[in-house]
Amino acid sequence: MPNVLVIEDDVQTLDEIVEALTDHGCAVDTAQTGRDGLMLAIANAYDAIVLDRMLPGGLEGLSMLASLRSAGVVTPVLILSALSAVDERVRGLRAGGDDYLTKPFEFIELTARLDALMRRRDAPPSVQEYRAGPLQLDLLKREVTCAGRPVPLLPREYRLLEYLMQNQGQVVSRTMLFEAVWDYRLDERTNVIDVHISRLRKKLDPAGSMPMIHTVRGSGYLLRAPD
Amino acid sequence: MRLTELHRTTSFRLATLFLAMFGFASILLFGYLYVEITGFETERVDEWLRREHAELIREKPDDLVARFEHQNQYDPRTQRPFGLFDASGHHLAGGYPGDRPAIPAFDKPFSLRLHGLPHNPPGRCIAARFPDERVALQCQNTRELDHFDEELLHALLSAAVLTLVVGLLGAALIGVGSVRRLDAVTASIKEIVAGNLSQRLPMHSKQDDLDRLVRVVNGMLDEIERLMREVKGVCDAIAHDLRTPLTRLIAGLERAQRRAQTKEEYREALENTIAEAGGMLRTFNALLRISEIESGVRRESFEPVDLSAVAMDAVELYEPAAEDKGITLALERSSPEPYSMQGDPSLLFEALANLVENATKFAPLGGHVCVHLFSNAGGFGVSIRDDCPGIALKERQAVLGRFYRGEASRHTPGNGLGLSLANAVAGMHGMEIRFAEVHTGCEVQLFKPHESPDARNNRREPANSLGVSS
Repeated sequence: MPNVLVIEDDVQTLDEIVEALTDHGCAVDTAQTGRDGLMLAIANAYDAIVLDRMLPGGLEGLSMLASLRSAGVVTPVLILSALSAVDERVRGLRAGGDDYLTKPFEFIELTARLDALMRRRDAPPSVQEYRAGPLQLDLLKREVTCAGRPVPLLPREYRLLEYLMQNQGQVVSRTMLFEAVWDYRLDERTNVIDVHISRLRKKLDPAGSMPMIHTVRGSGYLLRAPD
Repeated sequence: MRLTELHRTTSFRLATLFLAMFGFASILLFGYLYVEITGFETERVDEWLRREHAELIREKPDDLVARFEHQNQYDPRTQRPFGLFDASGHHLAGGYPGDRPAIPAFDKPFSLRLHGLPHNPPGRCIAARFPDERVALQCQNTRELDHFDEELLHALLSAAVLTLVVGLLGAALIGVGSVRRLDAVTASIKEIVAGNLSQRLPMHSKQDDLDRLVRVVNGMLDEIERLMREVKGVCDAIAHDLRTPLTRLIAGLERAQRRAQTKEEYREALENTIAEAGGMLRTFNALLRISEIESGVRRESFEPVDLSAVAMDAVELYEPAAEDKGITLALERSSPEPYSMQGDPSLLFEALANLVENATKFAPLGGHVCVHLFSNAGGFGVSIRDDCPGIALKERQAVLGRFYRGEASRHTPGNGLGLSLANAVAGMHGMEIRFAEVHTGCEVQLFKPHESPDARNNRREPANSLGVSS
């Protein structure tokens, strides 16, 4: 069970986040000031930290993050902020944040991003291929085979599949896919990505007999090896 | 403002100040003239006296009495009273009445009041002393001269009084004029403050400084009125656009309350509710983002961007969706070099994606959408051309506003914020959204004019008659 520390001063938001993470299967510790959060984060080994940018009590989110990083703690940190401006985001990532989520957000977005952060940390440094059931993706040759049959993919489709396989078994949101595959940050949710996914699906499984990419109602997709 | 407050007006004060300065200068000038003119007259008399004196000195002593008597005969009005006195000062000869007066100095002219004559007129005299102790006094009655001096002084004083009166009247007139104009302006402003925003400050045909100010203020009022109307429109639109999903949401919940029996039915109702609420949240987020972009906060995040690469990505993103609708989505470029500029790639992509999405949404089944990268002398940009019926001229400004949905798009999904976002992004990047007329359909351009000092100042001006300022 992953261990997550949530640092957020607004009690109601904190409660909601804790509920959502608990439902997602995380053990959650909480802190309401930067100082408490910093002490907890240094004392315990967490799998991830959710950090609000605006914190009371003298130690603001970004300075708390900087202190944490200078103390040698490398736990992935997801920054929450009501400030959506791009330079705020850049500032947050520069201070040592690993991802940045603007309030208000959907909780599925939060859990999906946290999963991706933890997975990225746990991933072995040099993977040469991803496998999911009959599906095989060769990172070196950039080739995909399904049950031994080669699947020709367009470059963008290949990157989509690569990201989905990298995060297999986890929900990835459309915005995450968009950021990873198209390299643009799109705050507005777009359904146009669904068409790309359905094309990919058809290429992987023309008969529709063993679905692997599942649509998660709400905001994302999930790649799972067929049972 | 009442007339009793006239003295407080700037123009009246200015006019009286000028009057005072003019008066002071006039007094100086008049004083100088007076001194010069009277000095000249006295000098003329003195000159004559010196000549007479010189002649007298050369006269033989025995002829003096005869000379004085002779002179007296030719001067019946005693304009030039001469007098010859013996050593003890008794009158010997000449028209001078009475004995010798006190003489301050000999052989040079001096002023003397001629007491023996009627009215004791003033005079200029010169005295000579002879070796036999006799004293000769030659005088010129200067009453006429003094009279002239008085007349001169009188004229100067009259002129001064006249100037003062005319000047004060003029100042009052100017003051009253400006009070009237200011009263009119004040009345208009009061009316505007009271809520009548269509009121404008009165203009005169004078084209003076006040008119320039009035023109600027009126321009500002036009802008404020436009903004107020826009804000009102946006508020109405928000209310309207949120009422619709809220109604749907409540209807769905009520239906679930009435009918739902099983867990699945409740789950479905919940999911629908979440989807509706999520949609409303996204509308709010989009609104906030547009305001944020319009306020230009993101400008710090600018980096070099290749517009052609962004356009290609946008086309590639929408190609499968367009293909499913049977629409051909093509990318053309008129020159191979990169279309580089400073900007926020994500925002530019979003703006272009919105424009491409609009085009694919409104193009008919089997239609064509062409994304064209072009550059010309004025700048460069991307045009998106489609087969849709096009946007009516009168709708062109409106489609860029928040929540506006054209007649054709009433029944398609969307929140009416796509073009406003594109417009905000364009404005932030110094670009323009322009609509062009093509015979096959309509064309929207995202155009980046070349930066020139002139263009920078006139960024708000439309680039052509079809252009829409960004």
